Amino acid sequence: MAIATPARPRPTSPPTGPARSRPKGRNTAIWRGIGGVLGLALILEVVSRAGIVSSAFLPPFSAVITEAVLLWGDPVFRTDVLATLLTYVLGMLISIAIAIPLGVLLGMSRPAYRASRAIVELMRPIPPVALVPLVLLVLGAGIEMKLVIVVFAAVWPIMFNTLYGVHDVDPATKEMARSFGVGRSGVVRRIVVPSAAPFVMTGIRIASSIALIVIITVELIAGGAAGIGAFISRERAYGDSESYLAVLAATLTAGLLGLLINLVIGWVERRYFGWEATTRGSI
Amino acid sequence: MPTPTRSLETHGIPIARRPRRSRKALISLGYFVIPLVVLVSLWQLATTLNPSPFFPPPLAIAENLWKLLFGGDALVTELFFTDFLTTVGRMLAGFAIGTAWGIVVGTIMGRSRAARETVTPIVELLRSIPATATLPLFIILLGGGDDMRVVFIAYGVSWFVLINTAAGVGSIHKTMLDLGQVFKVSRTRQLFTIVLPAAMPKIFAGIRIASTAALLLAIVSEFILATNGIGFQLIQAQGRFQLLTMWSWMLALAILGLLINSLLDYVEGRVLSWHKLSRARI
Repeated sequence: MAIATPARPRPTSPPTGPARSRPKGRNTAIWRGIGGVLGLALILEVVSRAGIVSSAFLPPFSAVITEAVLLWGDPVFRTDVLATLLTYVLGMLISIAIAIPLGVLLGMSRPAYRASRAIVELMRPIPPVALVPLVLLVLGAGIEMKLVIVVFAAVWPIMFNTLYGVHDVDPATKEMARSFGVGRSGVVRRIVVPSAAPFVMTGIRIASSIALIVIITVELIAGGAAGIGAFISRERAYGDSESYLAVLAATLTAGLLGLLINLVIGWVERRYFGWEATTRGSI
Repeated sequence: MPTPTRSLETHGIPIARRPRRSRKALISLGYFVIPLVVLVSLWQLATTLNPSPFFPPPLAIAENLWKLLFGGDALVTELFFTDFLTTVGRMLAGFAIGTAWGIVVGTIMGRSRAARETVTPIVELLRSIPATATLPLFIILLGGGDDMRVVFIAYGVSWFVLINTAAGVGSIHKTMLDLGQVFKVSRTRQLFTIVLPAAMPKIFAGIRIASTAALLLAIVSEFILATNGIGFQLIQAQGRFQLLTMWSWMLALAILGLLINSLLDYVEGRVLSWHKLSRARI
């Protein structure tokens, strides 16, 4: 069993590991991927056109794609997408600004680390959407309400990953720096932060997908809010087949937005933290 | 004691399970209880000194929750069955189906390169859709019943398990598989005795995330469309401005989340006790 248990997770994201991307293999991968997507699109199209599932409930795939493109011409929808994106960006920035300094501070001292760990472990499994009804009452359905919930949801993963990352810094390295006359803030800046950075990035990646889920959920629940979720919720309420099409198209758009965000974060991770094995885990 | 031991591990020193010293256990219990007590007392103090209808004191919340769930003449109230247990049941059903599906598809993706390359773009797109955004679709397709809720939870949860299983199965050392072949172990047995155990730590990491997500998705599905469940009660209490009741149900959710998490902690400790990484969760 010793073979299977390397000291660090050494993965392995399924798509294209560096070892697998031989010139020829890469091409087949692309063709297979395209084939898979086209195959699924074809199946969906046929299922709908042949009437296996009523096309009112499951419109043909081509119609959904067309609708998704057409929706971009709709200023209301564009405003909604931008509202979601704005909330996401602001929420993530606020969370990062809160979580990283707090994580570094708490991770530096052992008693603070242990005490805060207990609190973090307690708060972590609480589903953030449980707060939605309360915050709705207190703050109303504006962007502040969304931001409060998103920040509450996104702060934890970043903070406890920072906490663990800072705690994990090799003490010998710190002592070495101290013995070379580096001051306390210098140790934090030059040793602690760089070696915790990959952990922080993992936290940001996890927080990012949670944030997007939470934003859309809040928009779905809170009637008055703007955003993709609110758009979907409004269209669903109309209940005719045309609005079902809009629901599907908006859901697809939300997916593309999520995919874009994932790709950007993945790129940043590989570009700046590619040297660290922990960032390559696909947790 | 859940202190991460990664620094030891990176030096290749395995962590054995040692019997704990009682003093050590007491200290770690203290680290757990004292911050909690301090936090709750501060909250109690603040809300007593400065009463606000939005923020009732924690003791009142706990008392009210107790009354809601266990306050009747019988051992438990009706709400305990119709709402608390209903949510738990929906969540567990969706969680179980989603996990099973994720492990099966993830294993296929991890084992067969052709399958992996074919479905990767689809998987990447579908899992990028925030799960809750698909809820209206599920309602349109499956109606407003419990089966819709279970399928929705299973769908949302499966991605975490699927991705991790594919990664775990795909990263198995080739020597281990070759060894299985040399000993003429059948493919099915290879799967259950070599591949899945080796992938277990990663699969469990996915299951942990999935369990938290399952509760979240269950509540959201009850927020949007339901006639019972914790999420339904929460949104009802909000509509009637019953803030104490609302807080009580929020507390119920927190306790539920904690219970599930601790249960998984325990199971993971038992199942993966051989694996040193299992102690070092990120």
